[in-house]
Amino acid sequence: MTPTNQMTQAVPTLTLSHLPPVQSIWQLRFEKFRSHRLAMFSLGFLILLIVICLMAWPFSALLGIDPNKTNLLYRFQPPSAEHWLGTDDLGRDVLVRLMFGGQVSIAVGLVATLLMAIVGVAIGVTAGFVGGRIDAVLMRVTDCMLALPLVPLLIVLGSIDLTKIGISQASATSPLFVFLRIVIIIALVDWTTMARIARAGAIQIRDRDYVRAASVSGANGRYNVIVHVLPNISTPLIVASTLTVGRVILLESTLSFLGFGIVPPTPTWGNMLTNAQQLIISAPHLAVYPGLLIFLTVMAVNFVGDGARFAFDPRSESGKSH
Amino acid sequence: MLRYVLSRLSQAVLVIFVMSFLLFVLIGLMPGDPIENMFEGNPSLTPELIGQMRELYGLDQPITLRYWHWLMAALQGDFGYSSLYSRPVLTVLGPALLQTGKLLALTLMISVPSAIILGALAARKPNGLVDSAIGLFSFAAISMPNFWVSLLLIILFSVNLGWLPASGLPMTSDASFWLELRHLILPVMVLVMFHVGPLIRYVRAAMIETLSADFVRTARAKGLSEGTVIARHAVRNALIPMITVLALSFGHLFSGALVIETIFGMLGMGKTIYDAVGNIDFNLALVGLLLATVVVLISNLLADLAYAYLDPRITL
Amino acid sequence: MKPLLEINDVSIHFGMRGGLFQAGPTLRAVDNVSLSMNKGETLAIVGESGSGKSTLGYAVAGLRPPTKGSIQINPARPHSSGRDPVQIIFQDPFSALDPRMTVETIVAEPLRLAGVDLSNRRMRVTEVLEQVGMPADAAHRYPHQFSGGQRQRLAIARALIGDPELIVADEPLSALDVSIQSRILNLMGDIREKLGISYFFISHDFGVVRHLADRVAVLYLGRIMEVADADDIFATPSHPYTQALLAAVPRIGRGRRLRGSALKGEIPTPLNPPSGCVFHTRCPRATAICSTERPELLPAPGRSGQLSACHHKD
Repeated sequence: MTPTNQMTQAVPTLTLSHLPPVQSIWQLRFEKFRSHRLAMFSLGFLILLIVICLMAWPFSALLGIDPNKTNLLYRFQPPSAEHWLGTDDLGRDVLVRLMFGGQVSIAVGLVATLLMAIVGVAIGVTAGFVGGRIDAVLMRVTDCMLALPLVPLLIVLGSIDLTKIGISQASATSPLFVFLRIVIIIALVDWTTMARIARAGAIQIRDRDYVRAASVSGANGRYNVIVHVLPNISTPLIVASTLTVGRVILLESTLSFLGFGIVPPTPTWGNMLTNAQQLIISAPHLAVYPGLLIFLTVMAVNFVGDGARFAFDPRSESGKSH
Repeated sequence: MLRYVLSRLSQAVLVIFVMSFLLFVLIGLMPGDPIENMFEGNPSLTPELIGQMRELYGLDQPITLRYWHWLMAALQGDFGYSSLYSRPVLTVLGPALLQTGKLLALTLMISVPSAIILGALAARKPNGLVDSAIGLFSFAAISMPNFWVSLLLIILFSVNLGWLPASGLPMTSDASFWLELRHLILPVMVLVMFHVGPLIRYVRAAMIETLSADFVRTARAKGLSEGTVIARHAVRNALIPMITVLALSFGHLFSGALVIETIFGMLGMGKTIYDAVGNIDFNLALVGLLLATVVVLISNLLADLAYAYLDPRITL
Repeated sequence: MKPLLEINDVSIHFGMRGGLFQAGPTLRAVDNVSLSMNKGETLAIVGESGSGKSTLGYAVAGLRPPTKGSIQINPARPHSSGRDPVQIIFQDPFSALDPRMTVETIVAEPLRLAGVDLSNRRMRVTEVLEQVGMPADAAHRYPHQFSGGQRQRLAIARALIGDPELIVADEPLSALDVSIQSRILNLMGDIREKLGISYFFISHDFGVVRHLADRVAVLYLGRIMEVADADDIFATPSHPYTQALLAAVPRIGRGRRLRGSALKGEIPTPLNPPSGCVFHTRCPRATAICSTERPELLPAPGRSGQLSACHHKD
């Protein structure tokens, strides 16, 4: 049979007016996320918490409170107009320290997760897209990392003397360095989760026909990774990142509690609990607030992650998409 | 089967060697100097003498060579002395391993059955009331800082109620079983909380998947009661992969044990490593960490083998 | 004039994953294949799954370098740099379109990669959407809002936008409903008529092939069994494998029954192909020579244009 011009009849132009309005996958997902009430509530809580923690500067300036200034005459003060949650064992304002501590804890969570996402995605996507020996090595390394006891490893990393690797004493003890150090050591032991997810995603997308079609038109590996792979693996990565933020906050607080993370006077929710054990009889309330805040924050982060997982789950997505 | 075991075993050995080198380098970066630590406060220690001592102990050699010497000695069973305890490190770590072993064994005996029961209960009616309650509980358990839970339990059970000891487990062998158990109650409670959260979520997901599988529908169609279907068919199939999940959680559990032993003053592996790092006891920290790694790797290996043995689909 | 596509003695082998210390076995997906097609012609590659036909198609599209031999494309028109005279359409229309992109971005991708500016790209998108029978307002929608057939049209639009001369079509119909299949088939015929495009048409289905193909090559375990003009192959198939495939096509009012019954058994693994003629394990006419000597691709008796690789060809 040879094609003839009756084809124009056989192929009527379609109209799309019956379709729902144009919606990207992100719009659909956001609507689904909004229907997850616990996740929405948790997101609201986290935003509020971050805003409150950021209010630490104006708040302490207004009340004239220095979060790190010790005053042994004002130890264990009960809540008052000046010290809303009272003072700790060194006479410092608990509320202001909680606010500043929250900044540090949340910042460590976000920055370390960002670092892990960048490193993990770079390594994971390379391994998945290139394959071969790089891939085999990565898989072995991540297999091992997955099984190792992290906290013992972290306290060794946390106790490393930076002057032994050529960093000056002054910079090694500067607050920024202390912050970066904890971010880096946590990222160092925990990047593999992200790398595994990125690798699995890259392998899946690498063999999609739209990537092949782009290659036929002359796309190179870099183009395909940036234009096709990364947007399409963003879903599992966002879910994993959210859960990672919670895990990092827990790890940081554990390390700081044990004295190998961020050390006083810089407050974090973890190191505010370091002395709590000795004070359990005299001031048990001091053990409650920081831990409660860690708990609520991590829980809220996990709920947001759960909401994201729900919103991104293809099985609950209305349109069929791969 | 033998080939599989051998290949996994050789892999594990390789990992242990690589880890031992990495740890050797890392531990060497801890603050302080082994020689100065050894003679701390000794006024007769002149710089020349330190130099001589370094030479004597080979500390002026490159790190790879030092590692080689350490490895050769270690392979002959000489793991060095603990500067903190002034004893060979193995005599310190032996009892510590036993202590942690007790803690972990008790924890597993409680966390695994309760995770299976709670996970299966939640899976019976996904998104029902029971499922939501159990889900909330497991989320809370995952999100709780374990050191904080420890503090709260101490405040409640030791300080306010005075029921249970907060610390001070005697390390003598004549301590009675019940005394030891009383000391273990709180730590085990915290560790179970720490361990059970992810396990519940895993069991629930696995059960939901299994309950919708064809062979379960067949079992139901045969007229078996729901209880029999869940107990005989679903649980068994859902739980074989759980061995892997359990094994992977071992490292995690060990991390928890370190924190909990430190708080409750139990001289287990975790507390020993913590003290060793805090007091710059190079040998003890190195061997303790390595031993922890080896234990975790072996448990992983055993889990893999058990999985391969139990899963009929894998033929080796 | 040179032919549009020349495939010269091409072999494509894959090294399979081996153990730690030994190399894996070699999979001969395509073995010593030579083919050529002229401009405006449609060449159909027919074979069962595992015959290597998709691999050959990927090689023609430049997705996979041949292990041996060469593939040459001689475009008749000059093409600006980067713009490729070859494009491809795939089997699965769901995997063919990036779900994160709008239709406009998807369809315009070949132009984007060739460095065409945005306004020109938009103009061309409207044109090609019309050519494939899609409304212009599809441009701002996402793939998940379209059916399989509509997606295949969009994939065709993307293939057309760079004004190619050759489109590799890798089983473009087999994932679609039968009713949609005929529409896409008609669309492809229509486009060929209007734009003078050639198809390298990969299919397992002789029924579809007879509607579109000018020439047909039959592939089995990576080797050409028979190649001829479509009319000849349908009228007088020479190779027993071709005959078996044709016998399996349901047709109304077929005059005489072809010799050779339906195929028995499975296609052997290309990791370890049979000796001699690779088809001898399933061939009703196999004799001793078939398992020892590889038959050459030679003209069928009395038909110089019809080549067949068989010791006992008709």
